[in-house]
Amino acid sequence: MTAYIEILMMLLILFDMALLGVSRLRTCITVSSLQGMLLGVFTVFGHTHGITLRILLIAAATFLLKGFVFPRLLRRSIREANAGNELEPYVGYSMSVIAGLVMLGAALWLGARLPLSSAIGIPLVVPAALTTFFTGLFLIIARKNALTQCLGYIILENGIYVIGVAAVVEIPVLVELGILLDASVAVLVMGVAIYHINREFDHIETDRLDTLKG
Amino acid sequence: MQYTEIALWAALAAPLCIGLLCTILPTARIALGVMCGCVLATALAGFFAIGAVYTSGTVFIASSWLFLDPLSAYHYGVLLLVFCLSSAYAWVYFSQELRAGHLDRRQGRLFAGLWCEACAAMTLVLLSNNLGIMWVGIEATTLVTAFLICIQVSRQSVEAMWKYIIICSVGMAFAFMGTLLIAASAKGLDLASHDALLWTVLRENAQRLDPRLIKAAFIFLLVGYGTKAGLAPMHSWLPDAHTQAPSPVSALFSGFLLSTAMYCIMRYMPVIEAATGNAGWAQRLMIGFGLFSLLIAAVFIASQKNLKRFLAYSSIEHIGIIALGLGIGGLGVFAALFHTLNHAVCKTLAFFAAGRLGQLFGTYDLREIQGALHRSPVWGAGLFLAILALIGVAPFSLFMSEFFILKAAIGKELFLVAALLLIGLGTVFICALGYLLPLCWEGAPREKSEPGRFVTGEAFLVYIPLTALLVLGLWMPEPLQSVLQKAAHIISGAAAATSLAGIRP
Repeated sequence: MTAYIEILMMLLILFDMALLGVSRLRTCITVSSLQGMLLGVFTVFGHTHGITLRILLIAAATFLLKGFVFPRLLRRSIREANAGNELEPYVGYSMSVIAGLVMLGAALWLGARLPLSSAIGIPLVVPAALTTFFTGLFLIIARKNALTQCLGYIILENGIYVIGVAAVVEIPVLVELGILLDASVAVLVMGVAIYHINREFDHIETDRLDTLKG
Repeated sequence: MQYTEIALWAALAAPLCIGLLCTILPTARIALGVMCGCVLATALAGFFAIGAVYTSGTVFIASSWLFLDPLSAYHYGVLLLVFCLSSAYAWVYFSQELRAGHLDRRQGRLFAGLWCEACAAMTLVLLSNNLGIMWVGIEATTLVTAFLICIQVSRQSVEAMWKYIIICSVGMAFAFMGTLLIAASAKGLDLASHDALLWTVLRENAQRLDPRLIKAAFIFLLVGYGTKAGLAPMHSWLPDAHTQAPSPVSALFSGFLLSTAMYCIMRYMPVIEAATGNAGWAQRLMIGFGLFSLLIAAVFIASQKNLKRFLAYSSIEHIGIIALGLGIGGLGVFAALFHTLNHAVCKTLAFFAAGRLGQLFGTYDLREIQGALHRSPVWGAGLFLAILALIGVAPFSLFMSEFFILKAAIGKELFLVAALLLIGLGTVFICALGYLLPLCWEGAPREKSEPGRFVTGEAFLVYIPLTALLVLGLWMPEPLQSVLQKAAHIISGAAAATSLAGIRP
């Protein structure tokens, strides 16, 4: 089992690097969708307590939401906003991947220091989760396109989700479902916001939203 | 089931259901009316429950997942007060917008619906004993209020909404990480799934939580909830959102939304302090963030050109003062809680007045709004006195709570903190007076305008909060003092009770 989980975590990190290095928005969304499905699988196997109905329910909800619903929403926003690529990000793509490697290093260091990793028994889980968390944060900060920022938020949530599954054994199912619901509404609200931005400004480049200052 | 429990359920469910109903009512005016009725009914149920808490102790519902203890009851009281005032004002404000054709039916209904949902979400935050539910509630407030900012869609409001949603969502993600780390730190307790994350359980067993994880958790929580509360340097969404939102929404944001997030931090403080051996670790962080927010706000207030932006930075200042009070501890906690009430009442009033003056003058530009007292005696006087109270002029109650915080700082021999507090308050005082005098008196109005009428209904909205601020500044009723002491006792434990004995303003 440990070997499978390690492979899943390696894939998680690879997806993060792909997100940092790819400029085409549609490809980014596909990668995020794969990552979402991976999280669904991880929910089933990442638990130390065996498979229960509760875990299957949450896994299924995650798999569907992050694997299919979010990417669908994002793709629709792309069509509406007619946005293809991120043209000039604040940080270039190769630099982003290098930053990703630095974040991976930081995550490994932090993962070793936080007393979380010992609790699960598999040392790679916490660093992988933190890398995903940092990647999400990086996408929000270093990209100008509102859609990429929204994608960054989803990736950020993914990172926290992995920690939640692995490090926190018993969160009541109602709370977990509430959290998933909130995350999906957040993505929906961002989608609507992007629609409004596009309608008012004819673009979704957030660096050009600069009328409010001071 | 007891009456109190029924009242609490009603206070939670009524705005939730009626909010949905509002979106399908035939006209905007009916929707606004139903909204006001709903808030009033909620307030009646809520105050009944609050009264019960103070007479017969903490109430638990939903198998202890939700509860109302003296700390949440106090905040809930402030929330209901702000909602009642703001709903009445929203009626006045949007009636004007409807007459002027600035608001259509769809927008009016949407506003009424979201307003009720915001009330329900904030109530959920205050009632949560389960820290996960608390997070769900506060994230829900973010999502609901995002649309309140751009009820009247324009380029600026969309921009403000985007900043609000993206910055606060990231903040909430941090808070969520903090909540998870808190849950992880309780691993040694072997709690059942139902009890994991229950505040009451964590508070009792705080000494057995893993202190390293608790410290990491509090940093995430402070950054996360601090973003929503508007603590600098995570405050950058706040001035834009406050400026672009319609004034009743700005009033709600400043009056209570920020305090809701502050309340979450207050909930965590006693757990963190007990888990880290009562060494004042969390308190020092709060002092740092509080002072930084106060000073940053003072710098930005010095160069404002927009009335609502000025008020928004003033909110950052006051949230900083509340954080500072919490950080100082002892008398400071008592004062911070008192300040929460004072600021809520005063800032709602200031935004009410700013909103109506904005409608009259057609702008919020400080250089163009002149002679407000002439143009509208009611709102001009309201704004003038509210800003005087906000900058800490005696005998308004904000002066008293700020004075207590200063006294607490000196009492704990934190002289540098006291000096920085005075510098911040002094800067704001001088700059605000500089704006205030021309705003209310200077210059003849550009075009010849009739002196404004004195509208009795609107005058009530101004004079009731002002009287409350004045009375509380001169005399603190015994019941309020005991309520504040009970609430402060929850945050700072036994240490505060002794030091509070000799306070009488």
